[in-house]
Amino acid sequence: MSVLTVTKSTIPGYVSQRNASFPNQVIMLTWRSLVTIFRTPAAVIPTLIISAFFLFVYNASLGNASNFLPGLAGKSYLGFILPVSVVSAALSGAGVAGQSIVRDIENGYFDKLLLTPVSRGALLIGPIVAGALVLGLQTGIVVIIGLFMGLDPQTGVAGLAAVMGYALLLGTGFAGFTVAIALRSGNAAATQGATFLFFPLTFLTATFVPVDLLSGWIKTAAEYNPITYILEAMRSLLLSGWEGDALLKGFIACGILGTFTFIFALSSLRGRTKRK
Amino acid sequence: MSNRDIVVENLVKRYGDFAAVNDVSFQVKSGEIFGFLGPNGAGKSTTVQILTTLRLPTGGHATVGGYDVVSQATRVRNIAGVALQEIGLDPLMKSLELLTIQAQLFGFNRKDARARAHELLRLVKLDDFTERPVGKYSGGMRRRLDLALALVHQPDVLFLDEPTTGLDPASRRDIWLEVRRLNRELGITIFLTTQYLEEADELAERIAIIDRGQIVAAGAPEELKAAIGTESINVTFDNTENAASAAQELDNMVERIQTDKKTVRLYLNHAAAAVPAVVNRLQGAGMNPVSLTLTQPTLDDVFLQVTGQRFENETDAKEKIA
Repeated sequence: MSVLTVTKSTIPGYVSQRNASFPNQVIMLTWRSLVTIFRTPAAVIPTLIISAFFLFVYNASLGNASNFLPGLAGKSYLGFILPVSVVSAALSGAGVAGQSIVRDIENGYFDKLLLTPVSRGALLIGPIVAGALVLGLQTGIVVIIGLFMGLDPQTGVAGLAAVMGYALLLGTGFAGFTVAIALRSGNAAATQGATFLFFPLTFLTATFVPVDLLSGWIKTAAEYNPITYILEAMRSLLLSGWEGDALLKGFIACGILGTFTFIFALSSLRGRTKRK
Repeated sequence: MSNRDIVVENLVKRYGDFAAVNDVSFQVKSGEIFGFLGPNGAGKSTTVQILTTLRLPTGGHATVGGYDVVSQATRVRNIAGVALQEIGLDPLMKSLELLTIQAQLFGFNRKDARARAHELLRLVKLDDFTERPVGKYSGGMRRRLDLALALVHQPDVLFLDEPTTGLDPASRRDIWLEVRRLNRELGITIFLTTQYLEEADELAERIAIIDRGQIVAAGAPEELKAAIGTESINVTFDNTENAASAAQELDNMVERIQTDKKTVRLYLNHAAAAVPAVVNRLQGAGMNPVSLTLTQPTLDDVFLQVTGQRFENETDAKEKIA
């Protein structure tokens, strides 16, 4: 081995007892999560393909439904169904945050980080921000595919940005949930299983028809499902225009979902990092 | 120089009724290499985990560099480098990336963090493998990278939990040289647990042996070995008759004598000093041995004395598991 010639005081850039600031820690851990996520493309590409597949299949098979569905007359079914694919991409993309953390737990790197002065909050937020960026990319690709298929949003580019904003809020909230499961279980299979909870969330709602046309138990489920209000907010942007009531309900739904999942994630982080 | 002591007083760690660490006390002085030995399940790793702030003690008190491991955990992390037995490295990352992140978390700016990472990669001879994902490193390379990660912030105190396990002899010697150099040139206090007795013997100025959660022996390796028995001089002849004659000739010089075919084993204190006298006596009697070797008590003998079992058992068990 070669020989280090420095003493502690001569290491360039070393400032004793002054560790990286919290934002810098988050940036570093976000970057690291992104690097590992994009080095395992198999974790990202299939979920993107599935979301695009939903869009193609639903639009191909139900594209003419707007001709006879009340409330959709004269409107684009593509604009109605695209939010389902966007939500699907957001929720499945959010899963990478949990996968990122559970990988670190399984290979021991999480414990290695605990031996550094890194903030425990940064350990949580870094992968969540990385997950948000990945889901943002995924939903962006789905929206672009929609534009190529003829999507003509009533609210223009700003409306599409708002749709993406809802997707980010929803996905980030769901990322908190997958991260919480990862921290609690420390198990990749359990975390992967938790990610698939998005299936009932996206189907126990007004997936194919407006909520007014649902009846019975599925209508009740849809009314309690926050995804319903997020879908309606996105659909209003794409099909109707800037409808304050729908947008506010969608925002509140994202907020409620996010609040619960972040409380869950924080409590799971405390459980994982608490010295015993 | 800053306080680089490790002070452990009446440390206890209980899991239900089981005491993994039971009233353990010792002190490691600034700039010392301290070996911590014990069989599997003796309490070594639990002690290290408490000292490195990963676990809380049930009772007692411990400080690292003057900082309390319970109430000043962040300060302990700032001055301690840790290479745990289980190497925690992200297999998808590259060594340069891992070291750069580690350095940045300890307060380096990005440019200097990369410089520090390159310097450490040269130190552990991984500078030719910076573009290879860690998952494709050999066990020895991973161990060396782990040591580099522990050194990023130039710690005052370095905890090495079985740092050479799984390494080939050449890599092991490299690590020994580096550990000694870090200790000698930078004054880093080194707390070393190992399953290799010769490693503790080679590196540690003082050792403590822990068994069933309690310290059963502590001191300098030479003191511990001297305390358990005598050294021996082994004299080998070309035939058994000459060996028997030599045994008669030397009998009144030693505390105990044993003849094993062509070899006469002479047990006595300060054997090294007695070698000239033995040679003179043999030459005076016209006897010419084929070889003469000096054998000293080993730490394994110490371990056997204080725990009732050979240390090699642990090594064998680990190798079988591996």
